[in-house]
Amino acid sequence: MKNSKSTIIAPVTLGLIGVFMWQSQMLHRILGADTFTMPLPARIFGIITENIAKILFNMQATVMVAIGGLILGSVLGYLLAILASNFPKWGVGGLSVISSFNAIPIIAIAPILNNLTKDFSSDPNTRSMLAKILVVMITCTVSMSVNAYRGFIELKPFSEDLMRSLAANRMTVFFKLKVPNSVPYIFTALRVSVPASIISAMVSEYFAEYIIGVGRQIRENIVLAQYATAWAYITAAITIGIIMYVILIIIEGICMKGRR
Amino acid sequence: MRKISKKFVALFVFIAAVFSVYANGNKEVAPAKSYYASNATVESIVKDAATKGQVGNWGLGNEYEIQALLTKYNLPTTYLSQAFDMDGFDDDSILLASAMTYNELGLVKNDYDGGYGYGNKVSFIDMNSEGVAMLEDNLFTKADFAQANPNTVKAFIYASMKGWEYACANPEEAAEIVFNNGSSVSPQHQAYMASEVKKLVETDTAGNPVSIYGKMDETAMAQTLALAKKYIKLEDSVAAKALESMTLDDIRNTVFWDEAMASAGKFDVEKSDVSIQLKWLPQAQFMGYYVAKDKGYYSEVGLNVTIVPGGGDIGEPTAVYTGQVDFGVTWVSNLIAAKAAGMDLLQIAQVYQKSGLVLVYKTEE
Repeated sequence: MKNSKSTIIAPVTLGLIGVFMWQSQMLHRILGADTFTMPLPARIFGIITENIAKILFNMQATVMVAIGGLILGSVLGYLLAILASNFPKWGVGGLSVISSFNAIPIIAIAPILNNLTKDFSSDPNTRSMLAKILVVMITCTVSMSVNAYRGFIELKPFSEDLMRSLAANRMTVFFKLKVPNSVPYIFTALRVSVPASIISAMVSEYFAEYIIGVGRQIRENIVLAQYATAWAYITAAITIGIIMYVILIIIEGICMKGRR
Repeated sequence: MRKISKKFVALFVFIAAVFSVYANGNKEVAPAKSYYASNATVESIVKDAATKGQVGNWGLGNEYEIQALLTKYNLPTTYLSQAFDMDGFDDDSILLASAMTYNELGLVKNDYDGGYGYGNKVSFIDMNSEGVAMLEDNLFTKADFAQANPNTVKAFIYASMKGWEYACANPEEAAEIVFNNGSSVSPQHQAYMASEVKKLVETDTAGNPVSIYGKMDETAMAQTLALAKKYIKLEDSVAAKALESMTLDDIRNTVFWDEAMASAGKFDVEKSDVSIQLKWLPQAQFMGYYVAKDKGYYSEVGLNVTIVPGGGDIGEPTAVYTGQVDFGVTWVSNLIAAKAAGMDLLQIAQVYQKSGLVLVYKTEE
């Protein structure tokens, strides 16, 4: 924690230099880009301020999908890890099968889930929201189940034996030893899942029946050659990513107090 | 412990059950009335589908004619995002689905490989007869490229239109040429497409025959621009202002086409190696260019042409503007949007004389 000042100052300074180079078109000269496909920050910021209501509306839709899928996927992943650690015989094998889900590209499962959820609701916004949440859920389940499982089995040497020798039943062992031991692993999983949830939420918007969300707006605007507007939504996407990650770090700081 | 794991198992089974309900679905929930009477009016069909929120379009700049039609009947301009297949139409989640006459409509009607085989159990609403037609496949280039290479541009127009003329006279042969050039669809669908594209190239929005290929009809262009101004919504205020004040002279130049068509076919080209970016995959939609290349029309005028297929989210205006290719095929509305954003592009010919977009619906036989 001693380094906190410099760990903030260094990246922020680098970011500011980047923005300055971008605005002064030095970056364009280096990359050989034009101000059309890479509009200046001032113009992008202008579009954001002019359309803040619409951008926030789309951000809200994306965040709801990302958080909904993140919670569902993490809870499901945690439950699967509990199951796997309770039935180690097939648990490990089961988890490797689940891990293989991570290899399925989002662009492959998004249209499939879209078709599968069509009868869920007559309201296209509701059913495409469900389809998107399920996509995010699948991407988030794996990292949580694999990490939480490690949290349940990688206990301090002899701690389980000690509790057993003191006649603790399996429930006590589970709640007093295994669950607290899994907390750092939960955060390891979330550090992967949080950015992944935003990415998969945005990609699944491409295929959704209902046209809403930051990802969809980026696609629409790029296809219509509205690069400056697309960049405004890219900025919105980055903002969501940073805010959600910062919130995670804060929660982690609170939960992990005194542990490290 | 046993109890706990039982609870977890129960919970897991519950979650699995919930998913299977979603997955298997309940087909009876689908609206029973997904078929329209054969004598139903356009207005009643559009109203019914729109109030149910079951009008489909692909979006991404393809939606303006649909929005104009919905506005015509005083309906909200929202629509469902339609995938690039017709499954949504097939499963009744979309009652009124967007289709191109030469592509999706054929897939819905015909029963060859990839078709849905609805035959005459489907009917459609034509944007041309509804008065909301916007012009589609054109030919464009970058303004400064045209300025610097006027003879190349004219030679390209001349040979391409010769290709279109031959393709429309011999659609079956044209379909075969396209198929042999790395087709994305079956030969039967290619042949169907060629016969439908021919109609779009040789008929105007009012249904009159057109005998000159690539002509930029003033009235149809003006209607396209007017509808584009109304339905293209740009969040960038600079671009929105540019769109508002746009005139036909900003987006097209007829001089190249006029001089090319009046010429004897001899050009002193400034640049002989040129390329054209298509709007989609290799298919008869672009048969004129494939025929011109195959029949040697391009080499006759001193050009060596590379045809670059599109597909997915390829932005034809961007590809031409950034100089990756010299010419492009896009919809006039997409060119207008790109122009509003500041891309100095110029339309040099209009191949499709009427709109090929229809809204297809199921009907009684």
